[in-house]
Amino acid sequence: MTQQTWDEVGGLLPHDEFRAASEAIVANIEQVIEGKTATVRLALAVLLAEGHLLIEDVPGVGKTKLAKALARSIDCSVRRIQFTPDLLPSDVTGVSVYNQETHDFEFRPGAVFANLVVGDEINRASPKTQSALLECMEERQVTVDGVTYQLQTPFMVIATQNPIEMEGTYPLPEAQRDRFTARIAMGYPDAGAELAMLDGHGATDPLDGLHPVSDAATVRQLIATVRQVHVADAVKQYAIDLVTATREAPDLRLGASPRATLQLLRTARAVAALEGRDYVLPDDLQVLAVPVLAHRIIPTADAQLARRTTDAIVSELVHRLPLPHDRKRSPYDTRPAAPGQGRGPYEPRRP
Amino acid sequence: MTGRRHLGLVAAGATLLAAAPLSAIFERWTWLIDAAIAVAVVAGAAALARALRAPLWAQVLGMLAGLALALTWLFPSGSELLAIVPTPTTFAHFGELLGGSVQDMRSYGVEVPDTDPLLFITTLGVGSVAVVVDLLAVGLRRPALAGLPMLAIYSVPVAVYVDSVPPVPFVIGAAGYLWLLVADNVDRVRRFGRRFTGDGRDVDVWEASPLAAAGRRLAVLGVAVAVLLPLVPVPGMNGSLLDNLGGGGGGGNGNGRAGQGGNPGRIDLFAALSGRLNESEVVDLVKVTTNEPSPFYLRFGVADELRSDGFRVTNPSGKPVRDLPDPAERVGPGIEQRRYQATVETSRDLAMPLLPFYSEPANVEDLNANWYYDNDRQIVFSNRENSRGKRYSFEYVRSTYTPAALRNSRKLPADHPLKRRQQTATPPVPEVTELVTRLIRGKTTEYDKVRAIYDYFSADNGFSYRLSTETGTSGQDIVDFLTNKVGFCQQYAAAMAWLVRAANIPARVAFGFTNGSNRNGDTYTLTNRNLHAWTEVYFDEIGWVPFDATPAYGVAGSTRSAWAPDTDAPDPITESPGGVDPPVDPDASPGAVGSDKADEDTDTGLSIGSDTPTEQAPVWPWWAAGALALLLLLAVPALRRVALRRRRGGRAPASAAATVEDVGVGPAGGTRMVVVGGDADRARADAHAAWDELLDTLVDYRVRIDRTETPRATADRLVQDALSSHAEAVTAMRLLGRAEERARYARDPLTGEPLAPALRAVRGALAADADRRTRLLAAVLPPSVLLRWRIAMADTSARLVAVVGQARHRLLRWNPRRVIAGRTAR
Repeated sequence: MTQQTWDEVGGLLPHDEFRAASEAIVANIEQVIEGKTATVRLALAVLLAEGHLLIEDVPGVGKTKLAKALARSIDCSVRRIQFTPDLLPSDVTGVSVYNQETHDFEFRPGAVFANLVVGDEINRASPKTQSALLECMEERQVTVDGVTYQLQTPFMVIATQNPIEMEGTYPLPEAQRDRFTARIAMGYPDAGAELAMLDGHGATDPLDGLHPVSDAATVRQLIATVRQVHVADAVKQYAIDLVTATREAPDLRLGASPRATLQLLRTARAVAALEGRDYVLPDDLQVLAVPVLAHRIIPTADAQLARRTTDAIVSELVHRLPLPHDRKRSPYDTRPAAPGQGRGPYEPRRP
Repeated sequence: MTGRRHLGLVAAGATLLAAAPLSAIFERWTWLIDAAIAVAVVAGAAALARALRAPLWAQVLGMLAGLALALTWLFPSGSELLAIVPTPTTFAHFGELLGGSVQDMRSYGVEVPDTDPLLFITTLGVGSVAVVVDLLAVGLRRPALAGLPMLAIYSVPVAVYVDSVPPVPFVIGAAGYLWLLVADNVDRVRRFGRRFTGDGRDVDVWEASPLAAAGRRLAVLGVAVAVLLPLVPVPGMNGSLLDNLGGGGGGGNGNGRAGQGGNPGRIDLFAALSGRLNESEVVDLVKVTTNEPSPFYLRFGVADELRSDGFRVTNPSGKPVRDLPDPAERVGPGIEQRRYQATVETSRDLAMPLLPFYSEPANVEDLNANWYYDNDRQIVFSNRENSRGKRYSFEYVRSTYTPAALRNSRKLPADHPLKRRQQTATPPVPEVTELVTRLIRGKTTEYDKVRAIYDYFSADNGFSYRLSTETGTSGQDIVDFLTNKVGFCQQYAAAMAWLVRAANIPARVAFGFTNGSNRNGDTYTLTNRNLHAWTEVYFDEIGWVPFDATPAYGVAGSTRSAWAPDTDAPDPITESPGGVDPPVDPDASPGAVGSDKADEDTDTGLSIGSDTPTEQAPVWPWWAAGALALLLLLAVPALRRVALRRRRGGRAPASAAATVEDVGVGPAGGTRMVVVGGDADRARADAHAAWDELLDTLVDYRVRIDRTETPRATADRLVQDALSSHAEAVTAMRLLGRAEERARYARDPLTGEPLAPALRAVRGALAADADRRTRLLAAVLPPSVLLRWRIAMADTSARLVAVVGQARHRLLRWNPRRVIAGRTAR
């Protein structure tokens, strides 16, 4: 049920209003997270692309702060789950409780019944709890005791995880990771930003002073506008080329899924719209390739031994892949077009 | 041990193949039989020794002993035990043969005959090489080294022939060597166990190993060539088997050119009885200065072997030209001998193993020891050098005879060496015999008989000069000529020699030069048109006396003598019947008269026809046209580039007043600008054209192009790297990038922007930053055009290769081997 009707999503926003709304959100978040405009815009783009965000970095760089700032900038329901090893699936999805007054079971919604769900330290929970998120993230619905409950729109899961301290953690399974549209790293702030942070955050938590600048309805409109962004055939072809390249790269044991292609293009639409364009550029795909693709792929044992990260592999692919043209052929690329020699459907390598 | 035995056989075969070059220096193929026997015995001895597990030195001894046995059997001295066991007498005989071979090598010219000493040394040499090759290839397992002794065989014809060694025998020898190498390699591989095919794919049921198959094929090819070559007359390998066997190998036309073929320098000494004289090109061959007032012909060759189709040259033999025998003193009434001095200068176009001389030379100067004089044939020849660009002087004795003196000559005794040497032998042709009998009826002296035959070739009897013979129906060239009565010097000379021989008087055909028509004082310049042939008749106690039966009008510079006057001389001229003196006015008048009378037959007039003024005038326009064409050719890439730029920039930018239509309010209330389709397409095409032009410009100015870059990235990079110092170009570049980006990826292309000026600005900025050489190249030989052409060429060739490969694959499907292999596999 990802595909809402126009009415559910909301109407289109004119160019100027779109720009104003999106800039307001970004500016609002930047009050809290200083000097991370690109990361902030990417987070917003994932929201507009109806995706989920995985923030992965060392402790203390502001993962949770970004998640909360984004949630608070939008006037919508926000729930926070602190993942712990003893967290149960019912804590996430909700549970049916016997009401003695009515002599009936009544459903008490879990944490996912909100527009924005912030899952902190998601890799601390046991796999069964992690998989409780599977259905809601992809299908935007929750089934408890045979009853299916629809989630609200917009719905976004922002999860954080700590890649350093792996003891007592349960790394996200591949299926779970594939459901996150993008994985971003916060990175340390530069010197100037850190100084500003000391000045501003010294006394109070800036989150407290943060006021919503948008609401769920506006976000729905933004999402609808993003869906209208034009994608040329050449860009689609380029996305396919990129994903195919990950599937055929010798360094990778597992390539990106078709869902990755879809989400790559959706996110690219959002990025383009945020930049004020009504068409997607291959540049957008190039920028998004690492955040969107890198966490879904598995390098081979050799590549791991050589300490090649998936980020490096993907960015190298991007630099090697020639650009497709919507015209027949580039004048300087005269390799035979090989008619009728299309590759068969991709067969995954046996790990 | 089968591998070794096999390798030994291969070594023997390779040695025989490597001996192929010897065919170039032998007249016949007898040597091959002897050499094959010797090599076979050597190989057999080696195999026997190996079968007995003899050590290496014993193998060598065995092979040497086998060689000695073979030589004893082939060249017996008569005192051997059981015909093969050599005795001391045998070895003494071998020593004699060796000494004789040295002598023979000195006296015979190339294409040596089958003399015992020469055959002996050849067999010994090939047998020794077989021993060495076997030792190296089988004993020491170093087959690569075996190439050296094999090459030694090839060096023999190289040493003998100076300028032209036939290449085919070398190829045969090389094939033998390769066969040896391949056989050895296969043997090595086989020791490791089973052999696989080279590429590991489809094992052929017929050929276990492609390498071995390649070796075998090479060897089979070599043997086939070696066998077929002697049967087929190949240029460069004279004395082919068919010719020697006397079959009718070459037709009359093929052999009938007396130096009149493509190369005027090499004169074919063959007096054919039919043929066609075809000469378009005139080349100076000889310049001769003599103090003799009216010399007889300059002479350099003799053909004395008579076949049914004409006279043929036999191989000369003689002594070094330095110690010439003094010409025989012939005294007698009517014989006059005078000494003269002459200097001959041959041009670079005359390349013969013979040198032109006046007969009979006495004292020769300025010639080295490579030149020999054949006393019988009276010619100077060499086995190693040729006559190209030589200059030498000599004294010579000119003998003149009165008819009376010749008439005194007696009949030659039957046991005279010339008669024994078959100088009077003729093929049996009844018509000729009948004619000769009729002609010499009633003549008593030899001279009268010869004169009767000589006079027969006169205009009165219907003989005339023509540059080609007519074909007849009798099947005999001589009869055809005597019936048709037309021909040129070769036919006259050969026919007269034949008839004289038929009268049992020794005769032969001599070749040389007439005195020509280009005389400057004492110096005569002789060209290939002055080549001539005439008859020489032997008179007892006098020697060889020349007779020229060819009609004088056909030969420029023809000379007649007292004993052989011009038979066609017009009646009023009185000198010839009563001619006692040497002929007056020998060179000019007959030729001059002849050229008037039968102008199409003589060839002197032609060389005068080509005048200088007609040649000189039109030279520079050709040069100019050539230079212009070259310039045009060089300008093609630049022109192509200019045309391309004009075509791309020629369009006006999609009109600034682009039709913009307000579609109105969208579903969500937003307005959108939509450009009408036609204009959008045009704007797109414009942006693409501008971008293409930009890329070409970048290639021209050697700026890197990255196919992974988007237009925006390209523009950013250029702005940073190349255009940073040109503000205007930066804006222009961004505009171009945006236009291309919009044209490619957006719904609506950018319209109304001034792309052409932007392009100009970028181009100007790039040109300003580039160095002079790059700028010049970009203007004259634009790399973009060249690159495009190169890519197109590579593309085409790749496609061609693919097509050919497919066709080959399709054809190979019908390969019988594959079909059979597939069937057996099934």
